[in-house]
Amino acid sequence: MNRSRRVMVFLVFALLALAISVSGVAAQAQTVVIGFTASQSGRYNVESTRQINGLNLWLNQVNDAGGITLSDGTVITFSTVFYDDESNTDRVQELYTRLATDDNADFLISPYSSGLTDASSIIAEQYGKIMITTGAASDSTYMKGYSLVFQTYTPASRYLTGALDLLASLDENAQRIAIVHENDKFSTDVSTALNDYALELGYEVVLFEGYDSGATDFAPFINKIQEAAPDAVLGGGHFQDGSTFARQLYEKTVEPGFVALLVAPPEPSFSELGEAALGVVGPSQWEPLAQIDASAAEAAGVDFYGPSSAEFNDAYMEAYGEEPSYHAAGGYIAGLLLQKAIEDAGTIETQAVKEQLDAMNLLTFFGRIQFDVTPEAHGLQIGHSMMYVQWQGMADALEKQIVWPPEAVTADPIYPIGGE
Amino acid sequence: MSLRNLRNPGLWITVLAVALLGLWPIVTQRASTREEIFTVMLSVVLASSLNILLGYTGYVSFGHIVFFGLGGYVGLYLIIVQGWSLWPSMIAGGLAAGLLALLLGQAILRLRGSYFALATIGINEAMRAFINNFEPFGGPTGLSLNFQTYNQYGGAANALWLIYYIVLILAVFNIFLSYIVKTSKFGLGLMAIREDEDAAEVMGVITPRSKTWAYVLSAILPGVVGVLFFFKNGNIEPPQAFRLHLSIELLVMVMLGGYGTVFGPLLGAVGYQRLRGLLLTSDLFKNIQLAVAGLLLLLIILFIPAGAVGWLRQRFPVVRRFIP
Repeated sequence: MNRSRRVMVFLVFALLALAISVSGVAAQAQTVVIGFTASQSGRYNVESTRQINGLNLWLNQVNDAGGITLSDGTVITFSTVFYDDESNTDRVQELYTRLATDDNADFLISPYSSGLTDASSIIAEQYGKIMITTGAASDSTYMKGYSLVFQTYTPASRYLTGALDLLASLDENAQRIAIVHENDKFSTDVSTALNDYALELGYEVVLFEGYDSGATDFAPFINKIQEAAPDAVLGGGHFQDGSTFARQLYEKTVEPGFVALLVAPPEPSFSELGEAALGVVGPSQWEPLAQIDASAAEAAGVDFYGPSSAEFNDAYMEAYGEEPSYHAAGGYIAGLLLQKAIEDAGTIETQAVKEQLDAMNLLTFFGRIQFDVTPEAHGLQIGHSMMYVQWQGMADALEKQIVWPPEAVTADPIYPIGGE
Repeated sequence: MSLRNLRNPGLWITVLAVALLGLWPIVTQRASTREEIFTVMLSVVLASSLNILLGYTGYVSFGHIVFFGLGGYVGLYLIIVQGWSLWPSMIAGGLAAGLLALLLGQAILRLRGSYFALATIGINEAMRAFINNFEPFGGPTGLSLNFQTYNQYGGAANALWLIYYIVLILAVFNIFLSYIVKTSKFGLGLMAIREDEDAAEVMGVITPRSKTWAYVLSAILPGVVGVLFFFKNGNIEPPQAFRLHLSIELLVMVMLGGYGTVFGPLLGAVGYQRLRGLLLTSDLFKNIQLAVAGLLLLLIILFIPAGAVGWLRQRFPVVRRFIP
């Protein structure tokens, strides 16, 4: 072989090697598309925006860190496609179909609220897309025979049951409870489950009443509460009615030793009620105060994954200039769980990722995560538990403290309200 | 109503327009297109039904969606709780809506103008409150369909196509119904009521009966499509089923296309829903889509108050034969 021919052969081999290496690099980089709808308008706008902020924070952190590397060397980065669902179900199925087909989303995240999630779940299941739900607490969504829908929140049936456990730990003589709740799907689901749990624990439910959404006058219910003389009042619904109910209970000097209301108490603006907010307990999916990190996982005997509470809190504050709500944490955790399942599966193939989600049992800054894998309630969250907060301190300088469960408490509970 | 009326080219142009639009997803077999056109067809049925009351009879109803919601509830109750198939449940949903209209019509159609309009809002709200406390329908929790139910219809994918075909057939049927009512003696009586109810009565139109039947006719198909929509949706809850906002959107569609015409509600429904759909998914407008839609509607209503079809028919009388 003469010299020029050897050079030619060398060049051909060099080009081939280059081509193979270039195609190899291309095969190793992959962008995963996550599709969802956000309520950019309508009544869920605030909660949904925070949820999406949380999801975007996770996505930016992963992508800024160079993506995730699978066992075969593939580097995965993430992108999102989303549309406005206007907080109503009219177009949810249309938009999720578009995400699953035209936009080729690899994975889906649910809209905010159980109603919208119900509509989108059918599309996810139909097109064989895994959907991580967040902001969707209703139990019934996960009891419809789906296999690809996974819940991050504690279900509605366990929203207020921990409050009764707290009451039981505080006062074994407390026996009579009143449940007054908003007459909507979420609050009714929560209150019905609470009623069943109370009866199971041997409590006497002396009042079980629903009020219309948007109610502003609770006098008829407060009169009934006064007549029934319960040891505890539980229920509520959403922020506006819950705050008004708490204020009117205080103004009418109804002072059961224990008050636990849905949704409103964990909101920072609830403290604007002053003394009316003092001692009121509320359930929260997650609180910035909670210090959940690897040491907590070790104590629980499970793996820890992702940032600690403090790291998430700091990153969110830096990105958005406000304290994260549990909606924001829920958005972040939806992405984080997907990341963990993809990493463990070593692929983005649906069945392999689903198997990892089915087997998942770990602790994150959001709390414990484990899914029901029975056909009756596949995807229902069974690991995560609510935290219960209480406003404490002086009326003009109230502070939110975690009072339940015992492993997360940041202060002793005030009991009975007005007793000190 | 004679067979000669059915030879009107305008009727067949309208039917052809609906059919072509409806066949588009079937030809392309694109699920996302099917979903877009499903929303449009649903609106065509609802707006066209409302037009019988609003356009022909001149009664403004802000509560038309009550029939959609009630039909949906009755249908889903029969499917989920009683184990009925979709077909009889659909019919039952339509009949329940018609029966409600018959009963309500006896009472509220005695009211006129704004009093009637206000009463329809009250009925929608009263029905929502009633269903919210009616335990057989799940109260505030509503009713949820098990995903396995779709297996009876060949799985979820087939069920979604099946529902689409039915809604398409109903949209075409509704165009015929709307045209037949308009060109019948009954329809002329309704339009006489619209122009002057007292004069119509003097001329021999039995106004209470005519208005009641117009109300019943306008209620049945919304009841049927309510069953289909919520069956497809997988669940039904009172706030979704009786959404006043949707009633107002229907009024806008009818006014936009041209009330009192057959083609108008079709054009209004297609135009409105396509506009909203495009704005929602447009990168440029998706963040301000409500503001843009509102502005466009304002301009149209300001400058062509008779609606698109009304304007065309006034401006170019020759097209009246082709745009009924």
